[in-house]
Amino acid sequence: MKFISPVFEVSNLTFRANEQSILEEISLTILPGDYCAIIGPNGGGKTTLIRLLLGLEKPTSGQIKLFGQPINKFKRWSKIGYVPQRAAGLDQNFPATVLEVVKMGRIATQGLFAKATREDREAIEEAMIKMDVTDIQNKLVGELSGGQRQRVMIARALASKPEVLILDEPNTGVDVISQKRFYKLLKELNAQEKMTIIFITHDIGVIVDDIGRLFTVNQTLLTCNNPKEAISCDDMSALYGIDAHLIHNHHHH
Amino acid sequence: MLEMFSYDFMIRAFVAGIIIAILAAISGSFIVLRRYSMITETLAHSALVGVAVGVIAGSNPLWMAVVAALLSAWIIEYLRSYFHLYSDSVLAIMLSGSLALAVIIVSLAGAFNSSLFSYLFGSILSVTENDLVVMSLFGVIALSLLGVFYKQLYFIAYDEEVARTSGIKVDMLNFLLVSIVAIIIALSIRIVGTLLIGAMMVIPTVAALRFRQGFAKTILIALLFSVVAVIVGMSSSYFFSLPSGATIVLTLLFIFIFSLIVNRR
Repeated sequence: MKFISPVFEVSNLTFRANEQSILEEISLTILPGDYCAIIGPNGGGKTTLIRLLLGLEKPTSGQIKLFGQPINKFKRWSKIGYVPQRAAGLDQNFPATVLEVVKMGRIATQGLFAKATREDREAIEEAMIKMDVTDIQNKLVGELSGGQRQRVMIARALASKPEVLILDEPNTGVDVISQKRFYKLLKELNAQEKMTIIFITHDIGVIVDDIGRLFTVNQTLLTCNNPKEAISCDDMSALYGIDAHLIHNHHHH
Repeated sequence: MLEMFSYDFMIRAFVAGIIIAILAAISGSFIVLRRYSMITETLAHSALVGVAVGVIAGSNPLWMAVVAALLSAWIIEYLRSYFHLYSDSVLAIMLSGSLALAVIIVSLAGAFNSSLFSYLFGSILSVTENDLVVMSLFGVIALSLLGVFYKQLYFIAYDEEVARTSGIKVDMLNFLLVSIVAIIIALSIRIVGTLLIGAMMVIPTVAALRFRQGFAKTILIALLFSVVAVIVGMSSSYFFSLPSGATIVLTLLFIFIFSLIVNRR
């Protein structure tokens, strides 16, 4: 049988900033096709973990491998789609149409002198259809609602045909109906296209039935392969304090 | 009106001016969108050091200006990234530092004269054939590089982090962009002058942005403004015997005010 190299293989990862410990001794393995959620309190290091996985921060110690390769040797970045949290914080006056932004997703994979190929055009169109932004393709990104902008950012990530999609709180500023639709779509990408999905979220109630793996990050890591068993009230209150009970109990009613 | 083209110097000035207009509008758009407009002022003053050296050494000041501006751009990027200094402070330091150095060189050589005035504010009379060769050579290089890396630069300007994670060589391209800008600024001092080139890089894009279009259209509008300003500015320089840099920048200012009025909100 062929050995499947993990998408991410992290061992003893520690990150400190200004002598302050942000993440300590994190080890985790994410396999192709995994559907993972990362939860944890604000300031617990969720975003930092993702930024380390993407090479945007350098670890203080420890090792990260992507598709079996050490991160500093890894070259095939277009395999990884990233949707950052601060999409809403981007320059609202930036002169870019939705189509122009989605096209950015193909730039890294195109040769320098190459014109857009049919493959590029199809990938862009497919991504726009999937995220339902075809109708607004000629609008400026600054004129979009929060939910629309988020969909455009994801369409851009999908345009590169990634094998892994990483999203940092993708639903900030998005209404509940769009949220449900959104998680359904993530699930579809995972089930139908075998895309590995990793996302940070606060919506524990919404996702707990669906996700395959749950990582709780608060300086250290608690991995659970079966979220339903693992989210015991004790763990939740340890992470979040009393509020988590409410979220948790509410979900089971 | 067209009789001004019976003079060779006018034809040279127009060719040079339009090369500059195109280069400044395109490269300027990336600089403006990255909130890095002030680097144009600093590099222009650094180019002046090259001019000073060229004038007293008797070599072509344009070549020296290119060298000085490039060196300055690289020092700025090095200081920014290696020492993690604030960008604007680095720019302020390099601007004053360059000007001080230029003034000392010129004073020591006793070369404060009218030719220096033309480097500060531009002159349609000053473009030699040799200059045109230098400008075309570097102009073609700069334009090809911008053409090749246009999409990448655009991606970086919009969303540097995602550009980085998708595998674009952000640091290399940032370095390339400031180098191209340094070259363009050095080339433009004949027509526009060091003290006025900043406006030429910045205003066309800022005015074009008021029309709220996508990126491709914004660049086209900026190009149009830039070329119109150079043509109008150089013609008025000819008819009223004024420094061409000043007339071009004043035309750009009118275009800027026009774009504000047309797009009131």
